Amino acid sequence: MNKLLNLALLWCLANSATASEIELEKIHKEIDSVALERGVEALMADCHSCHSLKYVKYRDLIQMGLDKRKVDALRGEQLMDAPMMAEMPESDAIQSFGKAPPDLSLMVKAREGGDRYVYSYLLGYYTKPDGMLGNHIYPETRMPDPLGIAGATGTEQRVAIQGRARDIVSFLDWAADPHEVERLHLGNYVLAYLFVLTTLLYLVKQQIWSGLRRE
Amino acid sequence: MMDKARIQVLSDNDRRKFLIRLTSVVGAGGVAAACVPFVASMNPSSDVLAKSLTEVDLSSITLGAMLTVAWQGKPVFILHRTPEQIKSAESSNGGIDPELDSARVKHAEWLVVVGVCTHMGCVPNQEGPGWICHCHGSEYDHSGRVIRGPAPKNLEVPPYHFVTADKITIGLA
Amino acid sequence: MPGRLIEWIDQRFPLSSFVKHELTGYPTPYNLSYWWNFGFLAGFVLMLQVATGIFLAMHYKADVALSFDSIQHIMRDVNYGWLLRYMHATGASAFFFVIFIHMARTLYYGSYRAPRELLWWTGQGLLLLLMATAFMGYLLPWGQMSFWGATVITNLFRATPFIGDQVVIWLRGDYTVGDATLTRFFALHYLFPFLIIGAVIVHLVALHKVKSSNPSGIDLAHKDNIPFHPYFTIKDLYGLGLFLMLYSVFVFFLPDSLIEPANNIPANPMQTPNHIVPEWYFLPFYAILRSVPNMVGGVLAMGLSVMMFAFMPFLDRSRIPGGAHFRPIYRLQFYLFLLDMLVLGYVGYTPPTDQTLLIGEVATLYYFGSFFFIPFVSKLEERWLIARGLPPEVISLMESEARALKKQNRKHGRRREEDQA
Repeated sequence: MNKLLNLALLWCLANSATASEIELEKIHKEIDSVALERGVEALMADCHSCHSLKYVKYRDLIQMGLDKRKVDALRGEQLMDAPMMAEMPESDAIQSFGKAPPDLSLMVKAREGGDRYVYSYLLGYYTKPDGMLGNHIYPETRMPDPLGIAGATGTEQRVAIQGRARDIVSFLDWAADPHEVERLHLGNYVLAYLFVLTTLLYLVKQQIWSGLRRE
Repeated sequence: MMDKARIQVLSDNDRRKFLIRLTSVVGAGGVAAACVPFVASMNPSSDVLAKSLTEVDLSSITLGAMLTVAWQGKPVFILHRTPEQIKSAESSNGGIDPELDSARVKHAEWLVVVGVCTHMGCVPNQEGPGWICHCHGSEYDHSGRVIRGPAPKNLEVPPYHFVTADKITIGLA
Repeated sequence: MPGRLIEWIDQRFPLSSFVKHELTGYPTPYNLSYWWNFGFLAGFVLMLQVATGIFLAMHYKADVALSFDSIQHIMRDVNYGWLLRYMHATGASAFFFVIFIHMARTLYYGSYRAPRELLWWTGQGLLLLLMATAFMGYLLPWGQMSFWGATVITNLFRATPFIGDQVVIWLRGDYTVGDATLTRFFALHYLFPFLIIGAVIVHLVALHKVKSSNPSGIDLAHKDNIPFHPYFTIKDLYGLGLFLMLYSVFVFFLPDSLIEPANNIPANPMQTPNHIVPEWYFLPFYAILRSVPNMVGGVLAMGLSVMMFAFMPFLDRSRIPGGAHFRPIYRLQFYLFLLDMLVLGYVGYTPPTDQTLLIGEVATLYYFGSFFFIPFVSKLEERWLIARGLPPEVISLMESEARALKKQNRKHGRRREEDQA
């Protein structure tokens, strides 16, 4: 019975492996504030006209490490306390694309594959034989190739676009989880503390139990 | 209950005492540190803190009129004082909580005070000598100083500064 | 001064005698292994969930228009809100992890057997309460998985005879999972932990009546019991340290590994995600639901699969002590059952195909079969073990404990006679 189930399980796993989807590209995301700054500037230029980040407020960018004057330049007429809403009203976007462009605040958390998915998607555009745009990762997409990867000629241009996509995704990573750096930092301290405490508790336990002499 | 003869507990020795004490201190420190996030979570969140600045345009307030604006959710009275009101305010030191009028204003014609009675936190009405709090009958003059109890202190002057001649920002920074 | 204070209290409240009876003098078998740490850990996680939950409730809004936003408010704006929420979300998984091990230990060592049936059944009740609480809490973030999970689970009640559809609408307070559902789930999610605390007290009262089981499966005489405090308080605390390290790895370094990506998309009643899965702790039971082709049958099978554990005191007919410890066939059954749970979990996770459906059906049959055959197998095993002869150390242990217990009872009886005289 056991053997049969094992075999069945193996068979099943093997099948699912062959049916796996297109491989996502690896992303070496960056968390230094220079990359994040490039990322938010690229996002404002390439994405923000249609996509909102309604859970990110302009003042949060100062927390991210951006200079206050740069935030002032990015926000324009918007208040410091205003969320980063798209320039294009949602109704106009629906008219142009048939559906509302999704909010990007949680985008890297809302997709299976996370930042690798978004990165691969941005770089997944190609020109079909009939001249139309296609996307390897999300074929039904209505978004036109925002970074121009499909029309890229030459390695140099491709590398530049890949860098831009990486910056944007690095920023989106921050936007989805602004406290990540703080969390990892705190986590190290907590684990170090727990290690010390647990070691001490173990020693106390040995001490107390060593007092137990059974005949 | 236990058969003491068969299970012998070794008497405490120094090493053991020290170890237990050290572990207790380290453990208690951890418990105290673990309380920090819980306590901190009840403090104002960052979006509430961001609301602690209020900008007010003074140009629409006519002479003798008062504008009430919200700062940190509390009413702030901005009174455009007339020359008579300024004169009467400057001529006295208040009553219960003596204070110079010049210490309470930045420009004599503009009085900016938090409109919360220093007794039990009601909002006083503009009437009589300046303001009267209807909860317990405290009276304030045109400098916001208490002139009749039971309020113990003058109306609080919030931190503010003039951005331009007719624009102020209430709150720090 | 402390001595006088305690004396003052003792004249009005049995503090010292309570501490002595339940802690410093509470007799605990000396031979408990680390598998006996998990009851304490479950109690700790319960307290952790209550504490983080209460502080989260100070910022959460149970309203379909606001709840998703309020979670983001907690994650971004509230001081350490991200920590409280990740602790609470990870804590739910930790709770089931600890409880499943606690249950597996009971099953392995046969701790459910007489006189511990009520202890086991109160535990079964606690499992049901825990599942209900976890399920209702999962709706609160109002993400896609929250919404569709709640839709599917409330629909299970359509299997109620005659009034199924009305029951579902009554549960939801709406035609679909909506604002009324969210608000009542929040109210109940806040209430149930206190019912759980009450049930835990009953569980502990039952435990302190029958005392802890131990790996030998034999009730130990006084000579082999040691006071709970300090021996097991320190052992529990050491175990807690190890547990907290594992827990912190998830809270600080892998918090999103336990949250489905689709739950970061606000609930949309117009569109079901392509692949909806329950939380990992429900997967085996969910697989059983899907494996039965008939709706009512599936719901019944799923309900029964959770409740099957309660029958163990009746199903296990063997008198050999120590559960799987001294019983090779029961041990094999135990491990096969664990494997079956894993297979069911895998089936519950994958989208249904012909293969997984078949595997699910076989695993479901095995699940119920393993319970069904226990009475016969355990009786046969007992006969075989007695014919073969138990290991000599078990026999000598049984004999020595029986002698000690007899002596102890005689002493006890004599004292009682003296008292009466």
